[in-house]
Amino acid sequence: MLRFVLRRLLLSIPVLLGVVMLVFLLARVIPSDPCQAALQERATPQICAAFNARFGLDQPLPVQFVAYLGQVLTLDLGDSIRYNRPVADIIFERLPLTMELTVLALVFASVFGMLLGLLSAARRNSPLDVGTMVLANIGISTPVFVLGLVLAWLFAVVLRDTPIALPPSGRLSSGLALQTIPEAWGLTGMEGPLRAVLDFVSNMYVISSLITGQWTAFLDALSHMILPMVALGTIPLAIIARMTRSSLLDVMGLDYIRTARAKGLSSRVVMLRHALRNALLPVVTIIGLQLGLLLSGAVLTETIFNLAGMGRTITEAIQGRDYLVVQGLTVVIAIVYLAVNLVVDVSYGFLDPRIRLR
Amino acid sequence: MSEHVPAAVAPPREMDRERPANIWRDTASGILRQRSAQAGLVILGFLLFLAVFANVIAPFGPTDDIRYLVPPEHVNRLTPPCVHLLGCPASMPEHLFGIDGNFFDVFSRVVHGSRISLFVGFVTVGFAIVLGTLIGAVAGYAGGWVDNLFMRLMDVVLAFPALILAIAIVTVIGQGLFQAQIAIGIVAIPVYARVMRASVLSMKERDFVTASRALGESGRGILFRRILPNALTPLIVQGTLGIGSAVLEVAALSFLGLGVQPPTAEWGSMIGTNRNFVFSAPHLIIFPGIALSLTVLGFNLLGDGMRDALDPRLNR
Amino acid sequence: MVVALGLVVAACGGGGVSASPSGSGTTTASQSEVASEQPFQSEGTFSPISYPDQPADCSADGYTGEFSQIRAVDEKTVEFELCAPDVAFLQKIAFSAFQIQDTATLENDMENHRVLARPNGTGPFMITEWQRGDHITMEANPNYWGDAPSYKTLIFRWSTDSAQRRVEIQGGRVDGIDNPGPDDFAALESDSALTLFEREGLNTFYIGFNNNPTIDGFDNTANPFAKEAVRQAVAMGIDRQQIVDGFYPRGSEVASHFTPCAIAFACVGEDWYEFAPDKAKQMLTDAGYPDGFSTTIHLRDVVRGYLPNPTQVATEIQTQLRENLNIDATIDVQESGTFIDNANAGALDGIHMLGWGADYPDQTNFLDFHFGAGASDQFGDKFSDITDALKIGATSTADADREAAYTDANNAIKQHVPMIPIAHGGSATVFQADVSGAHASPLSNELFSVMTPGDRDQLVWMQNAEPIGLYCADETDGESLRACEQIGESLYAYKVGGTAAEPSLATECTANGDGTVWSCTLRDGVTFHNGAALDANDVVETYAVQWDLDHPLHIGRTGDFAYFSALFGGFLNQPPPEG
Repeated sequence: MLRFVLRRLLLSIPVLLGVVMLVFLLARVIPSDPCQAALQERATPQICAAFNARFGLDQPLPVQFVAYLGQVLTLDLGDSIRYNRPVADIIFERLPLTMELTVLALVFASVFGMLLGLLSAARRNSPLDVGTMVLANIGISTPVFVLGLVLAWLFAVVLRDTPIALPPSGRLSSGLALQTIPEAWGLTGMEGPLRAVLDFVSNMYVISSLITGQWTAFLDALSHMILPMVALGTIPLAIIARMTRSSLLDVMGLDYIRTARAKGLSSRVVMLRHALRNALLPVVTIIGLQLGLLLSGAVLTETIFNLAGMGRTITEAIQGRDYLVVQGLTVVIAIVYLAVNLVVDVSYGFLDPRIRLR
Repeated sequence: MSEHVPAAVAPPREMDRERPANIWRDTASGILRQRSAQAGLVILGFLLFLAVFANVIAPFGPTDDIRYLVPPEHVNRLTPPCVHLLGCPASMPEHLFGIDGNFFDVFSRVVHGSRISLFVGFVTVGFAIVLGTLIGAVAGYAGGWVDNLFMRLMDVVLAFPALILAIAIVTVIGQGLFQAQIAIGIVAIPVYARVMRASVLSMKERDFVTASRALGESGRGILFRRILPNALTPLIVQGTLGIGSAVLEVAALSFLGLGVQPPTAEWGSMIGTNRNFVFSAPHLIIFPGIALSLTVLGFNLLGDGMRDALDPRLNR
Repeated sequence: MVVALGLVVAACGGGGVSASPSGSGTTTASQSEVASEQPFQSEGTFSPISYPDQPADCSADGYTGEFSQIRAVDEKTVEFELCAPDVAFLQKIAFSAFQIQDTATLENDMENHRVLARPNGTGPFMITEWQRGDHITMEANPNYWGDAPSYKTLIFRWSTDSAQRRVEIQGGRVDGIDNPGPDDFAALESDSALTLFEREGLNTFYIGFNNNPTIDGFDNTANPFAKEAVRQAVAMGIDRQQIVDGFYPRGSEVASHFTPCAIAFACVGEDWYEFAPDKAKQMLTDAGYPDGFSTTIHLRDVVRGYLPNPTQVATEIQTQLRENLNIDATIDVQESGTFIDNANAGALDGIHMLGWGADYPDQTNFLDFHFGAGASDQFGDKFSDITDALKIGATSTADADREAAYTDANNAIKQHVPMIPIAHGGSATVFQADVSGAHASPLSNELFSVMTPGDRDQLVWMQNAEPIGLYCADETDGESLRACEQIGESLYAYKVGGTAAEPSLATECTANGDGTVWSCTLRDGVTFHNGAALDANDVVETYAVQWDLDHPLHIGRTGDFAYFSALFGGFLNQPPPEG
């Protein structure tokens, strides 16, 4: 098992290197000059030469790349040109929201997806099954941005003044006090990496208000997250529901299930005790594979629901030619992505020993 | 948005080389027996009909300012749909999907939009399949460091969320329909490269290939005459499913203002530019949204049907 | 000289000073200690500074600025020596880019960029939190010298979508919003829980041309807009009334001149061209374009008071160019910052859609920024008859002289058509009906300290976009400036909800006989949020940092200090132009 993990870890190093290189190259060939973008009308040739020297942009590209790689390895991502602030700070502010949003969407998609898939498989070809699968097909085909806008319109305008009205934007009602975790736990004097972790988690409003027991803030933050979560989670939900159903039906056709049935066990018992466990293996994989979809969808969801996460920040930075922010954010997203894929692979290998031997 | 697809595609199905004509006929009828494929074909047929006869079906051009075409007294910006059958007074001119902020007829724009979306889907996926097939075939057949290099490159592309990489590519090569298609195409390449490579690997040692090799056929000949035809099935299945994703992704780029530029009648762009009217004139969002979903649904259903027909292993 | 200055300030500046940038081991008291425990010691410790030591040489080659020297006379008096009289001086010093900064804050917080996020002003609100991307929280300043706010907390939020702002205000989640969508005016007005305040159009939407025959980065060796006749033809071929009728809210008007007529001397000279498509087509033919040509319409998709529907107006202009002039235009939407950069750099070919909202209500703010000698390359080469007339207009004191100068300038603009003024866009703010003191300011600088949000102890304001930075000497966008205006103050201020300049941190500024020396008396008892007292040296330092390119604290966010150079002509120690 350890060897398997190590091998996967080693394999992801060249990929990571390639990611950094690709992002670096993409950022450097974006048209328009960073000096001009940063200095605007003062961008005379002399000033730009000085600017480029200051940022090391006058060096040959390979030299710049090695320098950037060295920076990245020491966790220094440089300063944003637009905001004149460290890129690491920007990531630290923006990443928690996106993580929270994707995790909530994934939980939503997994729970309801597996539930619907299970019910459909149990009542195969019933109206429930047909209805669920038709809806799942529609769900897979509905763009995040269409669903998001329609949900916002429905719950913020049509259902306004009803108890199920939901806020269409933002993270927390204005003025609602949400203590950070260090504040809530009386750790404001604390410093060091653990404090950084706590500050990071504090920026996930739903999660931090939950673990600190600030219930008003928790309900408020959650109500702000429901529409984005549903908009973002619907496609994965549909995929998971379909996968659960087909996987269950596959397993139900296998010999040991037939044997169990022949022994006279009720089909419900057979399904829940015997089939479900084996059927969930591919479902777990497919859940892990949704992350890319979710991060893509987060760009759109954050735009629609006015949430300042990584997705929106990265599109703004790309459009604003804020190169170091683009590089930093993309590399971090790719690392997260690779790490999750690694975890999925490893857990799959753990669940299914045959994989390890390949 | 293509991540869910690769896992669901089966390795190439064993196929009998001696009776190709029958194979294709069997395959086609197999696909047609699938209910989802039937539904998908009906939807796509309808869209194709709209696209081909858009000029006849749509009362106006996609960017016709109708103030210049009809008596302007009844033309108001953002007029909601007016259908006489549904109780709209006969004194008002009929606009099935209403009028948008630029005095364009929304129905005409939605109908014309089908051309762009179908075109986008086929071209983008075609581009990705050609490049992906080439890369996958070369990697699989050559093996060794070539395989390693190409496949790690594909891993790098796959390490990005698709839309984010596409946004970055569009920023480098510029905004526009063509550029958006290139960007989405590039992002989709690894899926096809992987499918092709897997096919090549599984075929490489099969009897009919080793026989050809023994008979002295060149590597290129084996690759393109023996292996490629046999690897087509999974590629086509994957491609059909991929069209839906490609249409969605190009629309997403347009929604963000990075793809098709207004006022071209592209559904994603129509939704993006009218985002601010979602609460005051929701018809500007809903109709192109439905059209977009319907298109993607059609391709997904057809792709599902093809996969089920061609891959007996997944029996649903 | 700079080190000497630092030493002087460090040794004598009194409260708030910790270490000078030269780091020569002077006092090291931390800011908070100083703020809370050391009252300002005035007697015997104030040593007035002059910047620069010797007045700058106004006639020096390459110096285009209007200041000669800025000096503290005593603790509460500061003098501005000008190279030439400036009739708009009070209007300019009231502008929020020239909010007075605490010397020590500049010295301590500039190099580490802290000043960008935690400004230290004298204003009614103090910044307490900036949750990036989400909101800014400000608390009422308990030591405010003027009328303190009646509530505790002011929150700034933002959303680029007018639809979202509308839903937030209608759902009661915010107390006020900026720029409701023009198509939402009627619905919002009919909502009895809300009050809509129309904002008069002290702004201009225009479509600009770059007259350079070739523009870097574009393959247009023959830019049709290099020809004056083509620009004139387009000016006649655009039906501006139709744009205003179709896409602007009530209270908007077609522009007869670049500057809105509410501003003095704005509308002297000839009115703009009438819509004459046939004549326009003929002119195009005569200019060598009988079949029109292809071009690009550049814009940014940002809603402003002057442009409430960017892409729709772009589409309308595209339609009109095609229908009226046979010009085939494609639309290019750019990211906002990139677009502004490109415009300033003169890098936009074809047509670009941009506008201007008044900062201070004077012709110089509108015309000089765009067409003056110090303007950017936005429209390509400058026209000497325009720049000459503007120079006279800005330096004359007699009304008759100014009127004559601006008549010339307006007529020259009409002849050369660097841009086509389209509309003065009315806009609005919307507040909950129970917010008293709510208003819409023609300068878009709504002041929230004069409002009372019913019986709530917080006021939530939702504007179009997040401020980029809060050191507004180096900011140019209205969203940043509005936030700064709650926190800091300038020597003068604009009347709340109006345009007249009236005393603020200065109780009075008076000019000498020929208008070349302005002397300002500072208000007593004004302290910064960190507790430091305001003195004349703070004023000198505030201006010196912006004015002198070689000043060690001339850093800011981008280092541009665009408003300083635009309003006061240019920088000290500007390197001579290249070539």
